[in-house]
Amino acid sequence: MRTQAPALALCVWMAALPAAAQTQAPASEPTKPANEQVIVPEVARRPVKLPRYPSNDFEIGVFAGTYATENFGTTEVDGLRLGYHVTEDVFFEGVFGRTKVNDSAFRQVLPGGIFPTGVEKLYYTNVSVGLNLLPGEVFIGRNFALASSAYVIAGLGTTRFNQQRLQTFNLGGGFRVFLGEGVAVQVDARDHIYSVDLLGKRRVTQNLELTTGLTFFF
Amino acid sequence: MNFPALRLCTWLAIGLIAGPGAPARAAAEPTERVQVTDAYIELQTGPGRGYPIFFVAKRDEWIEILLRHTDWYKVRTESGKEGWVHRAQLVNTVTEGGTKKTIRDIALDDYLQRRLEMGLGWGRFKSEPMLKLWTGYRLTETLSAEATVGQVQGVFSGTDYWHLNLNTEPWSDRRLSPFFGIGVGKFKNFANASLVSAAITNANLANASIGVRYHLSDRFVLRADYSFYTAFIADNRTDEFRAVTAGLSFFF
Repeated sequence: MRTQAPALALCVWMAALPAAAQTQAPASEPTKPANEQVIVPEVARRPVKLPRYPSNDFEIGVFAGTYATENFGTTEVDGLRLGYHVTEDVFFEGVFGRTKVNDSAFRQVLPGGIFPTGVEKLYYTNVSVGLNLLPGEVFIGRNFALASSAYVIAGLGTTRFNQQRLQTFNLGGGFRVFLGEGVAVQVDARDHIYSVDLLGKRRVTQNLELTTGLTFFF
Repeated sequence: MNFPALRLCTWLAIGLIAGPGAPARAAAEPTERVQVTDAYIELQTGPGRGYPIFFVAKRDEWIEILLRHTDWYKVRTESGKEGWVHRAQLVNTVTEGGTKKTIRDIALDDYLQRRLEMGLGWGRFKSEPMLKLWTGYRLTETLSAEATVGQVQGVFSGTDYWHLNLNTEPWSDRRLSPFFGIGVGKFKNFANASLVSAAITNANLANASIGVRYHLSDRFVLRADYSFYTAFIADNRTDEFRAVTAGLSFFF
């Protein structure tokens, strides 16, 4: 007990030391900060409206043309396209198209034909990535020019034909002529590649499509 | 899909665009005017680098911005000439308020601010070809919600499916960044006509996926993922499938 008393006093003194140092410290510092702001500006903030420019990166279009179903001849096709132009070079496009395929060519030699009713509807849907190439102008006469662009495009989708859904790759290209602000005429050649079993053997078919369309940008 | 309905939709869509919508909007909002501070800016005939330059607007000239198409702006000069100018040329213009930087070049660093994304993928589901289309919305820097629709197109049967996922991307500031996701949705299986007795199955699904994203540029992202699907076919039966896909997506 006796030996502990000085140790306890030392502890108390050591604990008090930092506290004392803290109370002394402000007294040694200057009362004013050295770099005090002399003038406090009173600026009224203006309401800032970020400009929003109208844009037309999206496109919607209708098209019609011919679709050559391998082995079955060529029929009329029409459809809708919806696109988004990401940059001046790259665009994404979704297309829905439809045609009616008939087996009249086979009915000459096969009285039963291939399809139960002689005509089968074919629908296709695809999403593709396009690359604009050769941006330029089409001259009509000496003094009048329209902006134009060629593109290559490839994508994948599905074809519904003869009650089957067939995975379909498409690739092709086209040419677009801008008629004015937000309207373009475009011709498009596309190969739809899918494998189908219609004549007793599953094989890959190439189905070429040629269309002309009107596209609106919005 | 009946034909008259499609035709109606087409005309409706055309009507919406060609109709009174666009001029009304233009009349309501006055066009933005900016002043050229560079020595000159070049006006091109179309929104692309390959279109010829046909006019030049000088320093201090005021130009009106009419329209944007991708990175190109359609402008009208004081003399009434209309042409397309690239975003980069408009960066140094000043507005009527005297402020700069109304049009900033999209920086690569902005990708975390971009919220809406859309993509297209292709791959294998079991051993059958699979394609999918997704839309993602970035909720925070590391968390995003995603909706996917897709198809598996087998020889004997096909499957339509959709699912909603919640993805987390812990290192989203990296150019190559992994992500993990979980989600729920639905499978709808249908048989191709040639198969004799195939039952159409509708099943709920749950999925977990792991993948990587690689930022190609400011707008494009490559992505590959591996997904584990569980189909709840009956109360006491589940089926499991694995799928690997790769795809490309872009930011709006």
